[in-house]
Amino acid sequence: MLQISPAPTGKAAAPQTRPLLALENLGKRFGSLRAVDDISLEIHAGEVHCLLGENGAGKSTLCNLIFGVYRPDDGIMRFASREWVPAGPAEALDSGIAMVHQHFSLVPRMTVVENLMLGQSKGLLHHRDFAARICDIAERFGFSLDPEAVVGELSVGERQRTEIVKCLMREPQLLVLDEPTAVLPPGEIGSLLDICRRVADSGRAVILVTHKLAEIARVADRVTVLRGGRLVAEAEMATADMGALVRAMVGREVKSLDAALAEDRDAVAASVAPESDGNPSRPRALVCDGLTVRDRHGSTRLENFTLEIGAGEVVGLAGVEGNGQSELGMVLAGLLRPTAGRFFIGDAELTEAGAAAVTAAGGGIVPEDRHAVASVTAMTVAENMFLNKLGQFTRFGLLRRGALNDAAGGLMRDFDVRAAGPDATFSGLSGGNQQKAVLARELTLDPLVALVAAQPTRGLDINAVEAVYRQFRAAARRGAGVLLISSELDELIAVADRIVVLYRGRLVGERPALASERDAIGALMSGHAA
Amino acid sequence: MTALAVAGLPDRRRLLRLAIPLAAVVASLLVSLLLIAISGRSVPDAIEAFLDGAFGTAFAIGASINRAVALALVGLGFILAFRANLTNVGGEGQIAVGGIAATAIALYGHVDGLPLGLAVLLPLLAGTLAGAVWGAIAGVLKVRFGTNEVISTLLLGFIALLMVYWSVQSTDLLRQPQTSSATLPESLQIPVATRLPGLTGDPESPLHIGLVICIILAIVTAVVLRRSTFGLRLRAIGLNELAARRAGMPGGLLLVSALALAGAFGGLAGAIMLQGEQYYLKTGFSSGYGFDGLVVGLLSRGSATGVLAGALFFGFLRSGGISMEIMAGVPAALTLVIQGLIVVAVAGSVILVEKLGEGPR
Repeated sequence: MLQISPAPTGKAAAPQTRPLLALENLGKRFGSLRAVDDISLEIHAGEVHCLLGENGAGKSTLCNLIFGVYRPDDGIMRFASREWVPAGPAEALDSGIAMVHQHFSLVPRMTVVENLMLGQSKGLLHHRDFAARICDIAERFGFSLDPEAVVGELSVGERQRTEIVKCLMREPQLLVLDEPTAVLPPGEIGSLLDICRRVADSGRAVILVTHKLAEIARVADRVTVLRGGRLVAEAEMATADMGALVRAMVGREVKSLDAALAEDRDAVAASVAPESDGNPSRPRALVCDGLTVRDRHGSTRLENFTLEIGAGEVVGLAGVEGNGQSELGMVLAGLLRPTAGRFFIGDAELTEAGAAAVTAAGGGIVPEDRHAVASVTAMTVAENMFLNKLGQFTRFGLLRRGALNDAAGGLMRDFDVRAAGPDATFSGLSGGNQQKAVLARELTLDPLVALVAAQPTRGLDINAVEAVYRQFRAAARRGAGVLLISSELDELIAVADRIVVLYRGRLVGERPALASERDAIGALMSGHAA
Repeated sequence: MTALAVAGLPDRRRLLRLAIPLAAVVASLLVSLLLIAISGRSVPDAIEAFLDGAFGTAFAIGASINRAVALALVGLGFILAFRANLTNVGGEGQIAVGGIAATAIALYGHVDGLPLGLAVLLPLLAGTLAGAVWGAIAGVLKVRFGTNEVISTLLLGFIALLMVYWSVQSTDLLRQPQTSSATLPESLQIPVATRLPGLTGDPESPLHIGLVICIILAIVTAVVLRRSTFGLRLRAIGLNELAARRAGMPGGLLLVSALALAGAFGGLAGAIMLQGEQYYLKTGFSSGYGFDGLVVGLLSRGSATGVLAGALFFGFLRSGGISMEIMAGVPAALTLVIQGLIVVAVAGSVILVEKLGEGPR
């Protein structure tokens, strides 16, 4: 253990000495897996307590134990000085513990106020009172939320704020947020962290689960690091050594991403060095020619998008989310017919051809939404890894499951997909392993001509992110053209050869992928022409 | 909890797994008997009539099994479409169009003298095809216009029932030639050559080769659902249509073929009912089998074995119920209430047992 703080003495830590929530030797097993193993922890009123750890470290399980979703196998919990044995989430809510889950539970077609009345109104509905309370809470914690807005039309950040208001309406003493920033675009993360701070300052305790270090530095009072279900480090933020936290989290020394990728890039330079950008002899991998998408309301989502990516090249598409990236991704995946324009993979025009033809032409697609588009989560890992190649394992109409599972097992080894086996259900995998499985499917197209990856590292931990980047570079080295769509500028700078910027559906500029261009690209992303 | 109790748990659970459905059936039977007693009928008479009608004679058993065959076919079609997350509630109409097509071919298709069993086979195929078309219409509506298949299959069912009515009312269609004012609005009897051959050789037994067809199709369905790539694709499109399309599956085609298959099973059931037992088409020909088959499909939880078991259960229940009405004078409405009670008890206990299997968290 890194550094154990015996009692809260830190800067913003609680004035009182008794912890609001105390866990003593808590343990939870799922089968043979110890998801939470002998964890003792104290949470104090008035503090933002960050739970840091990679996917599968036990953070969510710990939150679910506190919130009463699971019951612990060992140890005890105390909440507000009393033994805490919640029968379920309902009791937790009544007792003053509220939780914002990663996946929202809102009815998209109802308004904010209707959604909030759902759980908390009995008998007659007091629409106006509720709306007033919503505004009041929003004001108290320094943000705005329109109670009459339809939830389905809100941004992710606003939907999340709706969830937070839902929790705060119950005046909880403890607010638990499970990876709240994983779903947010970069611009909205800051305001969420501000809300967390204000909630803590109002005398409540906040547990914030994350694996992004920058957030911890910004908002945490104390940090607890979990790995493999165990508590491996605990620190006051004021005195914490970030390097030590990272080491504790991943259990090894992490080379900085830039360094790791630089090595890769040198290797690329050595192998394909003679060819430089603009060389007319370099074959084209992906060509978009004037792609335009209008939605059914007639508003333009993507306008005259023209881009050419050569074999072996990695092009980053930067932009704040909602500026046409999703539409572009859907068009290139063969799932959306553009209103105008054409696109080619290699020499094949695929504008109207559909998803199967994109795959056949060597277009690997890593969709933005892993659960909605990339996979069928209720099916097995093997089925998902060969979802587009099931025909290869079919004889007389019957699926040769043995051969399918063998092939999947091989791919799982190659791509380091960790699961109980090819027969495991896809939804049981961690986000990183799910993404690796999708990558394995799309990168093993033969030939792989072009790869289009949208927000490929969202929600992944550091090790998984590194693996994904390596796969992209490797694909480029083998001659594929890669289009990396991302709202994370650092990611683009680290991986891409050049960066183009999308703003309100239009390409507004192109820059080399250099750290020194960061500000210029950022300005383009926010609509300021450079 | 003590170690002893934990160790004893599995045995107790296994016992409960048997005891719960049994207790549910016994309880629902007791309530049923109470209802019969309250209605003023003789309880022993009712019981005797029920048992007689369901299992009393070889004929009764055969009739019950024939009934089960029709229900099973509709149920098999239901679980096929349900694999693609499509709920086919149009079994009744699919039986009806199957019956119409089979009658038309059997009576006026000149199949009478054909060799190699074609006289029997062609009307069966016509019924199957008609049902498939009926199901496919709902599929196309869904793919093209996003019409919910629950609505479209149900409404297509009503259309089909009225088509039966129309066909047997009009002499230009299937109504038998009107020789007197007493001629009923029914079709002629289909020729003997087009009727399904008996299974036992005993001319008194109503059992026919529909049972064999049904068992073969149940096996085929089970294999398709469990082992085939087509079954897996249906599952994928049912669970996540967008992901399935992204993986290059022909989404629209899969959905249409799933409903067409469900319809084909219903149409075949109609043809078998006509050629195996009824021999002529009349209004009300489908006699609610489509809806009973839907319940069989729902209760089977997607398993072909479950469909067969459920169909047998319903087949005997219906036969016994009808006999109870006729022999013991139990009102038809009360018979339906009793049958409903038993179904709810069985279905409820199945769910309870499943929950028990999951065990406490």
